[in-house]
Amino acid sequence: MRLYSASSEETLRTRQLLTDWVSEGFLTKEQYQRLEPETVSDLRTTNIFLRLVLFLFTLISVGTAVALFFKVFLSGPSDQIYGIFFLIFAAACYAAAEVAVSRARLYRYGIEEALAVCSVGFLCVGMQATFFSGSPYSPKLESLVPAVGAFFSLWIWRRFGLWYAFLAAMIFVVFLPGYWTSSHSAQHLIVAGFYATGLICVAAVRTRHRFDYLDDAYSLVEAFLWLGIYLAMNLKLSPSDLPAQWWSGTRATPEFARPFYWGTWVLIWCLPPIVLTRGIRQKDRFVIAVGAIVSILTFVSNKPYLGWPRHTWDPIILGILLTGVAVFIRRWLARGPSGIRHGFTAARLSAKDKDWMNAGSAVFGLLTPQSITPAAQTGSKDFRFGGGASGGGGATGDF
Amino acid sequence: MYDVHGPKNEDFMTILARLQRWKEQGAISAEQHAHLASLSRGEPFSIFLELNVLLYAGVVAFVAGLGWTVSTWSQQLGDIVVLTVLSAILAACSWYCFSRAAAWSPAETPAPSPIFDYVLYLGSLVWCVELAYLENRFRVLSGQWDLYLLVSAGLFFFLAYRFDNRFVLSLALSSLAGWFGLKISHWSAHQDAAYRQCALLYCLLVGVGGALLQRRGLKLHFFGTYLNVVANVLFLALLSGVFDWQGYGLWFFALVIACGASLAWGLTRRQFAFVAYAAVYGYIGASWMLIRGVNDETFLLSYFVISAIAMLVVLVQIARRFGRSA
Repeated sequence: MRLYSASSEETLRTRQLLTDWVSEGFLTKEQYQRLEPETVSDLRTTNIFLRLVLFLFTLISVGTAVALFFKVFLSGPSDQIYGIFFLIFAAACYAAAEVAVSRARLYRYGIEEALAVCSVGFLCVGMQATFFSGSPYSPKLESLVPAVGAFFSLWIWRRFGLWYAFLAAMIFVVFLPGYWTSSHSAQHLIVAGFYATGLICVAAVRTRHRFDYLDDAYSLVEAFLWLGIYLAMNLKLSPSDLPAQWWSGTRATPEFARPFYWGTWVLIWCLPPIVLTRGIRQKDRFVIAVGAIVSILTFVSNKPYLGWPRHTWDPIILGILLTGVAVFIRRWLARGPSGIRHGFTAARLSAKDKDWMNAGSAVFGLLTPQSITPAAQTGSKDFRFGGGASGGGGATGDF
Repeated sequence: MYDVHGPKNEDFMTILARLQRWKEQGAISAEQHAHLASLSRGEPFSIFLELNVLLYAGVVAFVAGLGWTVSTWSQQLGDIVVLTVLSAILAACSWYCFSRAAAWSPAETPAPSPIFDYVLYLGSLVWCVELAYLENRFRVLSGQWDLYLLVSAGLFFFLAYRFDNRFVLSLALSSLAGWFGLKISHWSAHQDAAYRQCALLYCLLVGVGGALLQRRGLKLHFFGTYLNVVANVLFLALLSGVFDWQGYGLWFFALVIACGASLAWGLTRRQFAFVAYAAVYGYIGASWMLIRGVNDETFLLSYFVISAIAMLVVLVQIARRFGRSA
């Protein structure tokens, strides 16, 4: 099913690990030079910057080529004709992506990724225009569009190994229940049910790939699914008519039955420890990260759930809590033998961590002051504070 | 024991199997094999990055709450309470940093403790909040925000170089940008042109400053941050000139030169972010020059198809020759 052979992908992974180990001094340069020829893969890769630019220009060329075709060859046709051509273009893009991988051996190269993304987009637009444009609204039938979008995205994920295709499938699923039922509670449950089913499947499959190249991919997917389940069940973060709100820009506050409302409140408190425990037991970086994120989201959304007012000092308490937890864990781990407890350490073991830290500190150092600058105090005409001018890094929105 | 064999495939070999083979071939020692095999199995599992993210999020949440509380409750709390609390935090952070810091070195120096960088960042952000409060309440400098920004930028540059902190260096660069921005906002006419000149001046100052510091061997690892900030501000300023309705030829010429320089730098230093900057900013500028005033949709679409494919061909050549990831 997968386009790339297991040996090619594992060889690429080995090559990346070798580079990392040399950077950290676990291997000498001489050893690296001796071992490096064994990690040459037949796949053609590039770095992240060129990958992004190649993705962008492929999107531009495909999108404008399709628009040019419609402009030159079709003048005022029906939506169905448009739709049929979109379906043809979807097939062409998908075929081009397959050829780019099978012939040119492109791997995370931007070009094949953009072609695959275009094929999903064209397929959905084509289906909508061909089968449902101009015909009476039939929600059950029209739900085929997001359903096919979800299935095709999943296929792209399996075939090409693109993590964001899985995310796209999850987003398509969010749109599905709106076609089937008007009950907001049922919509939440259906979405969470889909994600839970996916989670069970992924958890069953990934045990076979614990230490190979697929482990990271399954780890990320599992993390997405946990996050999806949490967001589907947290009514303060995911109003059930979210897709409608995205389209219309309006904000509605649907009413939920009391048992359902309080059931979700219990769930948002139960899920974080479950996710964290799972991540820690599996030593799974992405799942641990999602566990931490949903824990914070639970703290943030608890007051709105209970109908309690927010206070200005809530972020201070959250900040102290986060810092305290980080410091406590670090010290607790550091006091263990060789700085290790239960197989965990707070020490840096990978050069990649340092690269992430360097890039993150530079970028977030530039962004943070603007985002945390406080707004002006209400009810005081002469006291103006913030708005992007609060000293130092607060800088200004003028520049 | 873990199974070192993965999917059933003759060529397939997991990293654990490879390490075993390398040990048998004598390419790595038994100690190296044991260490690398355990790392591959996630033993021990490092949560270094996660703890740093938690610390960063904690500091940001704390300062956001502090600013929000001060701006909301300042009249009820009173100036003395607010200033005492803010000054106490600032003093504690300063004391911690100056008492714990190792002797200064022009080279990259590791933080003396895991929380050191975040205490310094907290102090720097609290400084911003206190300065803003002082000016808003007491009008010490009669609303001269530009002076505050300039002083803050100077302080942050000093702290960044003294304590080797990229967070604070970024604060310094954004404060300096803010100073240029506020300075120019006092001028009334021709805002766009004035902003552009200011941005270019900022690029010149930061670029030359960064290069001089690099040549003197001071914190060489900071140079990348300078270059990235300068490149983006410069390209945006030049693009705004290209988008002007008058005198855009010179700006386009400058953009072409900047793209060439960015491309050359990126390829020779293997810093492909600069190749990406050259490609994207250059494409936007060149496209605007070519399609300016054109209303023919067929021509426009044809242009984008041909130009995007041409860009793809060039970028693929660059990627094949220079840009392998591993």
